[in-house]
Amino acid sequence: MIKFDNVSKTYAGGHQALRQVNMHLQPGEMAFLTGHSGAGKSTMLKLISLMERPTAGHVFINGHDLNRIKPGQVPYVRRDIGMIFQDHRLLMDKTVFDNVALPLLIEGYSIQEARKRVQAALDKVGLLSKERHYPVMLSGGEQQRVGIARAVVTKPPLLLADEPTGNLDPKLSMDIIRLFEEFNAVGVSVLIATHDLGLIARLRYRTLTLKEGTMVDDGLQEPVV
Amino acid sequence: MSLLFRNRPSSASGAKKNNLSLTKRFVMFFVHNAQQAVASLGELTRNPIASLMTMAVLGLSLTLPATLYILVKNTDAVANEFQQASEITLFLRKDLSDTQIQTLLERLKLDSQLDAVRYISPEQGLADFKQRAGFGEALDYLTSNPLPPVVIATPGELFSDPTQAQRLLQNLEKQREIEFGKLDVQWLTRLQAMQRLVSDVFVGLALLLCLSALLIVGNTIRLNILSKREEIVIMKLVGATNAYIQRPFLYTGIWYGVVGGIIAWLATFLLVWWLSSSVIAITELYDGQFRLAGLSFNEMLVLWGIAIGLGLLGSYIAVRRHVLSIEPR
Repeated sequence: MIKFDNVSKTYAGGHQALRQVNMHLQPGEMAFLTGHSGAGKSTMLKLISLMERPTAGHVFINGHDLNRIKPGQVPYVRRDIGMIFQDHRLLMDKTVFDNVALPLLIEGYSIQEARKRVQAALDKVGLLSKERHYPVMLSGGEQQRVGIARAVVTKPPLLLADEPTGNLDPKLSMDIIRLFEEFNAVGVSVLIATHDLGLIARLRYRTLTLKEGTMVDDGLQEPVV
Repeated sequence: MSLLFRNRPSSASGAKKNNLSLTKRFVMFFVHNAQQAVASLGELTRNPIASLMTMAVLGLSLTLPATLYILVKNTDAVANEFQQASEITLFLRKDLSDTQIQTLLERLKLDSQLDAVRYISPEQGLADFKQRAGFGEALDYLTSNPLPPVVIATPGELFSDPTQAQRLLQNLEKQREIEFGKLDVQWLTRLQAMQRLVSDVFVGLALLLCLSALLIVGNTIRLNILSKREEIVIMKLVGATNAYIQRPFLYTGIWYGVVGGIIAWLATFLLVWWLSSSVIAITELYDGQFRLAGLSFNEMLVLWGIAIGLGLLGSYIAVRRHVLSIEPR
């Protein structure tokens, strides 16, 4: 599903964020990406979502080399990826419903066509009753679930999450991870970047570890029981 | 339409759309655009004072050129009346016989460049002179008639402007029978040069004002874009194309033009109405019958078109620069 082939990334100014990273995430696989802050987790996610381009090497999604994607095609690539952010990135002046409907409207759905799917997504994250609320009226955990509903409303084959549990307590974090597990169960590939080692320890998923831009453990050495 | 996953069922709409007929899709394109146009109008009414101020700037910037245009149009109309009346006076040689004069007149009448030819014999000229100039008795002392035979020729419409008439005169003077001709063209040339100067100044002024309107609209849209920076980043993250993000701003520009154009109409009407009383006062002093002509229907449409064009162009320039530069980081 996602393949990194000798990927290096040096930012303008000389900071080397990734050094010759190799990894391969299988279709339908769920994995954690971990490491200290500044180890390169976010950079990896940005390379997948084309917010950055690699300095060297190739990133593949479903066998397609992202280096060959022209700037005009970037939006269409992003429509295949559901992205979830630590700071939720919701539109504060729009209702929960409008926030979740946004990706559908961008793809050209009419409001009427979108309504059913938005409600299904909100139902999935348990927020159907709050579709008329504004994000500020919701708690952090609820806002994060709105972000997840928005990411999955188009049923993308791939979910990327950048510190989705960053500001949540362990119980809420677990709820969020359970949600990801449900999507993974229907075949969605999930890659979660987190430094919440306690959370990872309680789960038995493949864990990729970055250290100062190098992949020190791609999670395949230790067999999963 | 999925770029990376060929059989991705998720873009249900995309798959469904492929089954839609071309006409349905064409209609849907316009429906979506109309929805976005209405949405951006709604956005404008949320901030009515600020929007109205930009529209007023656009409208008032166009009012001055429009009023100047009306003034130029009216002076042109007045000046044209003078120009059409230009006549060429041809003084013939005194020693011509009557038959020679008749042949010349026949020739001139056949000349397609001339509209009308009128002959004034020396006797008739003297009679006119006595009557009009008030020299009646003094002229009686003359032993012989000093006046030459005269032909007054009116140039055809194509030759009525000063330069053409001058050229026509030079051709006529080459004729053997004609001693010399006179075209009182100097004041016409001066008038025309003045007219040209005034309209050039007005065109320059109009261009400057249009440019400033363009910059103001562009700057307003730029601020608009920057204030929505976060929203644009989020839309780009969930896969919005630049065109999708740009469209509401372009519609905002169009709305500025639509309302700005109407403001320009109203302001121009008011200004012309206000000026017309003083213009009538002046023309009355000259015993003139003159009415200030306002904007015609077509000119109003052109003015509206210019306003909308400026609004759209201003927002397009801002949008091109700034929507592209806002990228998620």
